[in-house]
Amino acid sequence: MTKRRNKVFEDQLDVIEAHLAGTLKRVPLSNDVIQRLHERIHFPYREEIASRLRDWNRMFLVFGGVMSVLLLVITIARALFHLVGRRQLG
Amino acid sequence: MPEIEFNEEDVLIRASKGDRDAFGQLYGRYIDRIFNYVYYRTGNLHDAEDLTARVFQRAMNHIHNYTDRGVPFSAWLYRIAHNLVANWHRDRSRRQEIPLNDVPVLPSRGDHPERNLVHSQEQESLLRLIRRLPPERQNLLILKFVENMSNAEIGQIMGRSEGAVKSLYHRTLLALRDQIGDQNINLDGE
Repeated sequence: MTKRRNKVFEDQLDVIEAHLAGTLKRVPLSNDVIQRLHERIHFPYREEIASRLRDWNRMFLVFGGVMSVLLLVITIARALFHLVGRRQLG
Repeated sequence: MPEIEFNEEDVLIRASKGDRDAFGQLYGRYIDRIFNYVYYRTGNLHDAEDLTARVFQRAMNHIHNYTDRGVPFSAWLYRIAHNLVANWHRDRSRRQEIPLNDVPVLPSRGDHPERNLVHSQEQESLLRLIRRLPPERQNLLILKFVENMSNAEIGQIMGRSEGAVKSLYHRTLLALRDQIGDQNINLDGE
């Protein structure tokens, strides 16, 4: 009796396994999809980054640009503070 | 003529030093597996494509942090994929656009070349049951049936012993059997 029940039990699991094998199949990927995915991934060359850092002209321009913008922002802020502050005092 | 062998260790070292071609080799080797994993975890090809791209993007951004601790590189990739899929499910459930049970099994995007992937009604039912299983059990079934991995290989990826995988697999089959019985799903197609 127990043997028969075990047999039924094993058979049930075998059926499920067979269906899982039939359902969970590998989806083939076309070359188009592989290429499309490849294009979506951006991989910056380390050498490229390093060369940008070694480019002194570019670094000088970037540094100069940042400092100029900072000075401009500080000057405007000071001017505004001066004008508003004076009005409030008057 | 001697065959050029793929030496993963060497390729990984080069990739972690920023060698684009080396990462390309890893991409070529694992793209298929990761896509399939994500596809079966999400249930649609469009999101699978998007998430697969993100898995490799993230892998590339962090590959310099990868250290070989005896765990295969694929385990590291599957871990990234698992995390991104978990985030995807979380975002989806927050937005509550579509209940998880209604996730379309067939691709909805018309121009996708894999649109011919057709499942019968019983296979769709089975896929829905699989997606209701805890993520760990879903991973196990995908690795076992889609990737044809042995319990030992699955154990390496999941960080479990071979025996633990075998036991988990058995419990998963039992859970599926119970759910099939509860929902009166006829796998014989009669």
